[in-house]
Amino acid sequence: MHAIFLNLAILAYVLATGFSFAYVVQREELIHRLASLATGAGWALQTVALVALGHELGRPPLGSLAEAVSVAVWVIVLLEMWVERRSGVRVLGAFVLPVVLVFSLKSAAAHHQLPAIVPALSGAWLWVHIGLALVGIAAFALNFAGALMYLLQEHQLKARRPGALYYRLPDLETLDRLTYRTLALGFPFLTTGLVLGVLWAGAAWGSVFAFDPLALLSFVAWLIYAGTLAGRVLGWHGHRAAYFALIGFGALVLTLGAGLFLPGRHG
Amino acid sequence: MPLFVAGLSHRNAPVELREQLALEEDKLRELLAGVAAAGTAREAVVLSTCNRVEVYAVADVPGEARAAVFRRLCRHRGVDPAAVEATLYTHVEGDAVRHAFRVTASLDSMMIGEPQILGQVKEAFALAQSCETVGPALHTLFTQAFAVAKKVRTETEIARHAVSVSFAAVELAKKIFGGLARKAILLVGAGKMSELAAKHLVEQGAFPIYVANRTWARAQELARALAGTPVPFDELDAALGGADIVITSTAATGPVVTRERVRAVLHGRGARPLFFIDIAVPRNVEASVNTLDDVYCYDIDDLRQVVDANIRERLREAQRAEVLVEREVGKFVARLGDVEVIPTIVSLRERLEEIRAGEVRKTLMRLGAATPETREAIEALSTAIVNKILHAPITKLRESSRAGSSRSWLDLVHELFGLGRR
Repeated sequence: MHAIFLNLAILAYVLATGFSFAYVVQREELIHRLASLATGAGWALQTVALVALGHELGRPPLGSLAEAVSVAVWVIVLLEMWVERRSGVRVLGAFVLPVVLVFSLKSAAAHHQLPAIVPALSGAWLWVHIGLALVGIAAFALNFAGALMYLLQEHQLKARRPGALYYRLPDLETLDRLTYRTLALGFPFLTTGLVLGVLWAGAAWGSVFAFDPLALLSFVAWLIYAGTLAGRVLGWHGHRAAYFALIGFGALVLTLGAGLFLPGRHG
Repeated sequence: MPLFVAGLSHRNAPVELREQLALEEDKLRELLAGVAAAGTAREAVVLSTCNRVEVYAVADVPGEARAAVFRRLCRHRGVDPAAVEATLYTHVEGDAVRHAFRVTASLDSMMIGEPQILGQVKEAFALAQSCETVGPALHTLFTQAFAVAKKVRTETEIARHAVSVSFAAVELAKKIFGGLARKAILLVGAGKMSELAAKHLVEQGAFPIYVANRTWARAQELARALAGTPVPFDELDAALGGADIVITSTAATGPVVTRERVRAVLHGRGARPLFFIDIAVPRNVEASVNTLDDVYCYDIDDLRQVVDANIRERLREAQRAEVLVEREVGKFVARLGDVEVIPTIVSLRERLEEIRAGEVRKTLMRLGAATPETREAIEALSTAIVNKILHAPITKLRESSRAGSSRSWLDLVHELFGLGRR
């Protein structure tokens, strides 16, 4: 049941990505509306898919990393729609939706074998740990998109030869605010999520990082974001903060990749 | 209803001819009055700007009306009508509508998207209205042309990107800073162009303004003109530290602002961006300043490049605008046909409604104490019958007007339903 809806959702995300790219090339109001419509439809379909999956499993669909990534995608899309509306950055979709697409294809491919839940995985704290970390990851996906747009626009301005992107992308100040706000939103969620994970793992396995690449890498990502946030507070601006946002998200993607490909407790 | 436009513009006529034909307001009034009195055109609007002279008119014989108007115009200005007649272009009906929409939306302008033309068309229309040469056809045409022009301006970007160097600088500043409110400007050197750029920035909310100049008196004078503060030239570093936008235009032969100097200043100012607009030739700011983090430096050639790119962007947007205009022309032409048959449709509906209401009243009176349900049923029944009967003739009238054969059908409907003479 959930597989049908998930496939339909992915189809809608593919369409949304296409329309978002088309909107960057040709700024027609109609294309933007179609992109928003496809995004919203994809999100609604994914909601149904996740509810159906949770129903089938009899627990929140967060028991494996593939499931968690699927939920992360769901949060990213929700945040994307909200931030786009709030900030008025209409090209945001073109930068966020490709990430959404890669993540959801990855998690859908892994979905075919629904894993039995590890006995050690139980208790409400676990779900809170995963849920908070996912909201953090979603905010950082937007942080990444904002930083990417910032660097592209900065490059245009530095090159002094305006190309198509110069006209399509918003001003640096708006983009910098977007990256700062998403960082400020994501960081507390990621921090609390990680702290809960550490406490819970300590209680369940007695050791925190032993033989789990995901836990180690997520700590590296956390350090990068913590450093960026500290720099921001000390007055970092645009350029440097944007580079750190890219590196931080790279570490997060590695983290999730490690969880999907390397053996460990998060598998 | 033959609608046409005839005239000449920067596209097909040299400036020598255009300037000879351009008319002032009182001459235009005379011309319009003459056209109205001669009776060759039923309606007329004359648009006269430095780039075009055009007559929009409704006449039974467009060719005749066109010749009459331009002969009159040439007589006013003492120009040989033969020379003018040879350069005139003429568009009729749908093509005339398209031309009116394109001109008003600034798609036919020398600089695409320039804002003046809309005002000029509005003035020409108002003038013709005051001369009473505007009838229903031109009224609908121009009202719609204004609406289309507005739509083109808001839905495309043909008028958005700056086509002058000083406005291009303002737009760049906006791309860097977002809003310009409370951004500090520093003028280094005093020149007409830097003063103009500063004024544009101030209009966008930039504040405060500092003026540094080698001649103290000149710095004071310019500061006063811009409501700014004069700064001694040897305190330039401190001024750079506080500025967001720096406009340089001194006559110095070597760079006044070096990379080292800017780097030293950057330390004290956090990572706020710094934008140099270097209008001076030879340049006042070392080009390598641009490589510093969060520092942007544009010289006069860079600004011209931006203007060129902006013009190309406008042309790209113009293609979208053409599509939009084409759609509007289609809609308008369809409606133009309906305009002829609408009065008949309205009186047809009124006539039948009158009959229906009268008969229902009589029946209800005869029935005496009818329940509200019965009344409602009778109303609904009679309305349904009337609508069913009207459906075929109204559809036929609309179709015939689109096919251009409405006249005989209109007469027939008037006869059959006793609507009186048209």
